[in-house]
Amino acid sequence: MDDNKNKECTVQFEPRGLKVTVPSGTTLLEAAHRAGIYISSICGGDGYCGKCKVIINEGQSQSRPSPLLTPEEIRENIVLACQTKVLSDLKVTVPKSHSLETSQVLMDANAHILSKLAGQTQVELFEYDPLVRKLCVEMSPPTVLDHTADHERLYAAIRKHVDAPKMQTGFRVLQKLSDVLREANYKAAVTIGQRGGTTEVIQVEPGRRCKTNYAVAVDLGTTTIVAHLIDLTTAKTIDTEATYNSQMNFGEDYIRRIIYAEQTDAFDQLQERLVHDVNDLITTMAVRQRIDLQDITGVICAGNTAMIHFLLNLDPTRIRREPYVASAGFVPPIRAAEVGIQINKRGLLYSLPSVAAYIGGDIVAGVLTTRVYTKEKLSIFVDIGTNGEIVLGNKDWLICASSSAGPAFEGSGIKCGMRAGAGAIESLTIVNGGKIKFKTIGNSHPIGICGSGLLDTLSELFVNGIIDRTGRLKATGDPRLTDGDEGMQFQLVEPQNGHQEITITQADIDNLIRSKAGVFAAIRILMNSTQTNLEDIDAIYIAGGFGNFLNVHRAVTIGMLPDVPRGKLQFVGNTSIAGAKTSLCSQKALETAERIAESMTYLDLMGNPDYMDEFIKAKFLPHTDLSLFPSAGNLKPQA
Amino acid sequence: MQLPEIEEIFTGSVNRVKLGATRDSGGTRDSTVTVGGAHNAVYGGSAEQMGEKPLIAMDVLDYNPKDWPEHLAEHYKNVFKNSSDWAKKCVNEFGADIICLKFEGIHPDKADKDTSEAVKVTEDVLKAVGVPLVLWGCGNDEKDNQVMPKVSEATKSENCLIGTVKEDNYKALTAVALADNHNLITEAPLDINIGKQVNILVSDMGFPLERIITFQDTGALGYGMEYSYSIQERQRLAALGGDKMMSMPVICDVGYESWRAKEAKLADAPGWGDVKDRGPIWEAATAICLLQAGTDIIRMRHPRAVATVKNFINQIWQ
Repeated sequence: MDDNKNKECTVQFEPRGLKVTVPSGTTLLEAAHRAGIYISSICGGDGYCGKCKVIINEGQSQSRPSPLLTPEEIRENIVLACQTKVLSDLKVTVPKSHSLETSQVLMDANAHILSKLAGQTQVELFEYDPLVRKLCVEMSPPTVLDHTADHERLYAAIRKHVDAPKMQTGFRVLQKLSDVLREANYKAAVTIGQRGGTTEVIQVEPGRRCKTNYAVAVDLGTTTIVAHLIDLTTAKTIDTEATYNSQMNFGEDYIRRIIYAEQTDAFDQLQERLVHDVNDLITTMAVRQRIDLQDITGVICAGNTAMIHFLLNLDPTRIRREPYVASAGFVPPIRAAEVGIQINKRGLLYSLPSVAAYIGGDIVAGVLTTRVYTKEKLSIFVDIGTNGEIVLGNKDWLICASSSAGPAFEGSGIKCGMRAGAGAIESLTIVNGGKIKFKTIGNSHPIGICGSGLLDTLSELFVNGIIDRTGRLKATGDPRLTDGDEGMQFQLVEPQNGHQEITITQADIDNLIRSKAGVFAAIRILMNSTQTNLEDIDAIYIAGGFGNFLNVHRAVTIGMLPDVPRGKLQFVGNTSIAGAKTSLCSQKALETAERIAESMTYLDLMGNPDYMDEFIKAKFLPHTDLSLFPSAGNLKPQA
Repeated sequence: MQLPEIEEIFTGSVNRVKLGATRDSGGTRDSTVTVGGAHNAVYGGSAEQMGEKPLIAMDVLDYNPKDWPEHLAEHYKNVFKNSSDWAKKCVNEFGADIICLKFEGIHPDKADKDTSEAVKVTEDVLKAVGVPLVLWGCGNDEKDNQVMPKVSEATKSENCLIGTVKEDNYKALTAVALADNHNLITEAPLDINIGKQVNILVSDMGFPLERIITFQDTGALGYGMEYSYSIQERQRLAALGGDKMMSMPVICDVGYESWRAKEAKLADAPGWGDVKDRGPIWEAATAICLLQAGTDIIRMRHPRAVATVKNFINQIWQ
């Protein structure tokens, strides 16, 4: 028996063939974590989401029974990875649906559409003045008449280029300074970085290295991490890369990850994951562009408050507990190497400031990008992610709120939901006669539905009278309506060539309606608390992980966004990365972001007595108060 | 200085709903009643703005209830076995404006009576009394969907008030009420938004809003009455504000709810006063409170409570 307890077992994960050795009794999910294999798990291993299905090919294991598996699945040796213990050497197949490699992530594919809002154009609004920059400085060598010390000589030379009243130099740089200057014949490439009001001399090199200086902007999302590589000498984006946040194994939303970290004291592990992801992205781009990591001297991150906490290993535990307080909103620039980010070892890491525990730097970046804060008239900025964050305001004031909309519109928690990657249905229309037409990303065979497709689906089911105003599937006798494992479901795509059918279940629809109700209720609360009328809204910007494009008018049809003239609606894609880039390229932009974060008023919806009322009102298609949606007047669903 | 006269004027009003049909209009009722029509809050504005007098619908069950408290049951002992005698007694002796025939006996957990029995009771009661009827299901969706359509058919063209339809079970009964020309009760679980949503769902099926009466669930004194009160008040204000989806008259189930309260029936409570009085007082107090929030029809049980409430109504709605 004792032998068994201490037995080491080798688990091989197919189709990649990766092996990992774990003690007998380890769960398969844990083994997969250790092997670095991603297995979808929403509940973080508690056994109630049923997402972590894998197939046991060979070997002994022990599974706790679960109602989430059908008898067929049990016969096919499908188990929940989190509920299954390794008892001997095992061979396990991870179904393709878990695989991250097959799906591409939304980066900036829509950049051309969004060019007006994207980083580069933004920079023109701000003076080009990056947070880290390289200067070519030339000094006259010291003489008998000019015996100024090397260090002060360097400062004087720098001040000819930039306005830097307060400067400092790292001790290590200083120790080598005299040699470097003489070696370079007093023509030096000086890297300076902004740390608050102080200009730091980060690095001094021979002058020939003037022309190479790069930085990376990162959108640190709960689900996806996007990075852009920027040539700081031209302010151009030269490469982009994205990956899934590998913390996902510990729970698909950050609250679950915080709970996981607390329960297992895994803060370091979560931090390492995130840093690993960021390093991966940076290295991938650097290798592809043939850039030396030493030439990357700055990284800027925009992310929700929890992600920034994880990255910097700040204590995130109070984010989830009343009164919901972050450890830090404004994080000073630190050395990137201090958290393990592998760029120039003296390179700096900036984080966009957050407003509150549930309003992070990504939202500040969104406000910066959409320029809500500059406008005379009122606009609304909506970012749909795992939370739905809303900002309302203009040049004089900004108010924001975060609704726990849930990740439904990211495709999470939906039976056939997936993120915006190849094979995802990104748009869907029901044409005359009830036939369903759709388009997938990459035009491949549909394997699931992403956010924009889900929005279309909900809207089309409603408009075509397949669901009623509460979202309930109507018993119309349509053969596509069947009683599935999870209650009633409606078939969107027939099974074909070995591909499974794609359906939307009653539970999915309820989930989506809850999400949209959360967003709309938050908008209403913000509007009501500021006595804003619909006519006063000049623009609504919608950002988020829907996919590459969005039929924004359908967000009105289902009552997620207020009924404004459609011209006022604009899908703006990933504003988090755009804002991060702008800030990276202009000190003024970062200062503006800080001012935005400082001036934004946070309204706590959980403490708002009207929120529940508004939420229930919005849990109806399009809304209980039909007068709020006059344009839906003609959209009475078929009885 | 003379104070200026300030009058609050509302744009909307509560719908007027007529219940019952006399022989001239194809039914068999001796008389009809009309409820609703208020143009102001209760006690607000002039006498004309008060609308129709609220009415009392007395409960008649389709079976012999074994669980009625002693001091309530004693008034019905000799009629419990016969719903039509029971109905007659309510109208002739206790002055019921309406009879609410509650089909509790069809509930699978109660007497589990079948459709033919329910139809028979309906026909008997219809013959026994000349006042309009409310036909109220047992609350079990499956059984109600099975029985109530037949009950509706049996009372076709009597212009009854039939219910209840809920957010998750509204289609069957709405369709038959529409076909048989009845009025409909929409029910919601003490949630004004869901209340409105049911009205919208029903009207999406083509049911006229002017033939709906809402039931927002009732809480008795001490058992959540303030929830019913505030929801009814909000509904009245919405109606006065012109919200067509909320302009329906309101029905309350005071009888059943107040007699569930232990204060109404507990005999062994020396400090609480005579249990004989406590029950009717509890029922009357609940009814009178809810009347002030804007209730149009009250379902009641105890004859003394009915008399007290009638007296109150007659004094206020003159």
